[in-house]
Amino acid sequence: MTQSVFFAIFSGLTLVTAGIVALNQNLIRAAFALFFCLFAVAGVYVTLGGDFVAMVQLMVYAGGVAILLTFGAMLTADVSQPSGSNLNFQGVWAMIGGVSFFSVLYYVLEETQWPLKGTNYLDPTTKELGKLLLKDYLLPFEVISFLLLIAMVGAVYLVLKGEQE
Amino acid sequence: MSLSLVLAISAGLFALGTMMFVVKKNLIAILMGVELLMNAAALNFMGFSYYSPAKGHPLDGQVFALFVILIAAAEAVVALGIAIAVYKEFGHVSADKLSQLEG
Repeated sequence: MTQSVFFAIFSGLTLVTAGIVALNQNLIRAAFALFFCLFAVAGVYVTLGGDFVAMVQLMVYAGGVAILLTFGAMLTADVSQPSGSNLNFQGVWAMIGGVSFFSVLYYVLEETQWPLKGTNYLDPTTKELGKLLLKDYLLPFEVISFLLLIAMVGAVYLVLKGEQE
Repeated sequence: MSLSLVLAISAGLFALGTMMFVVKKNLIAILMGVELLMNAAALNFMGFSYYSPAKGHPLDGQVFALFVILIAAAEAVVALGIAIAVYKEFGHVSADKLSQLEG
């Protein structure tokens, strides 16, 4: 019961803030709405039994990526003219296209028979996830860490290259 | 709450992200759309991991959600580096005005 209430709250917050991200004309406001959207998705993860993933989502997404995107918006957009920095090419057609795309997805997921199993996993997951990451998924784990290193080096190189020219 | 509801929320996020990716003029806004897409994918993994776990491996979906989050972080860092380099070169990040390959 409590789970359903929190799920409703967080999923509603997710959709509303995602709508603000997509529709608001001010890029800075969209960035802050994105922060709340990622926060609400972390709440949804908690109600789906993923406590560790929710914490990672909070730290990496809400604490890292959202702040990074806010900085990016402030560094690149014309801050003195923030309205109109988030414009669409074709607003009406985008709305029609988005609604029809969502309708197709919704039709597919309502028509499909998903295999449901009753055993919902609600124990603390950190220990089991650690075992999985260091046993079954060791190779993807190492590849991901290497990818993060390469991404870091590449980002520094890209920004420095722009500075030298 | 049910699996269809989780998938519907995820589909909503996905549709919003796709439309942002297609129609936005600002590179940073396009990046925000990609973040929404990544979140939709991770949310799908979490939903299936909760409602339809594999026998003996109930947490595999959560591991993949973790991988999605980490890849999204790497992607955001690199794309933001590109956006800032573009801003230094051209003075704007408007996607419809960027038509030169070698500036």
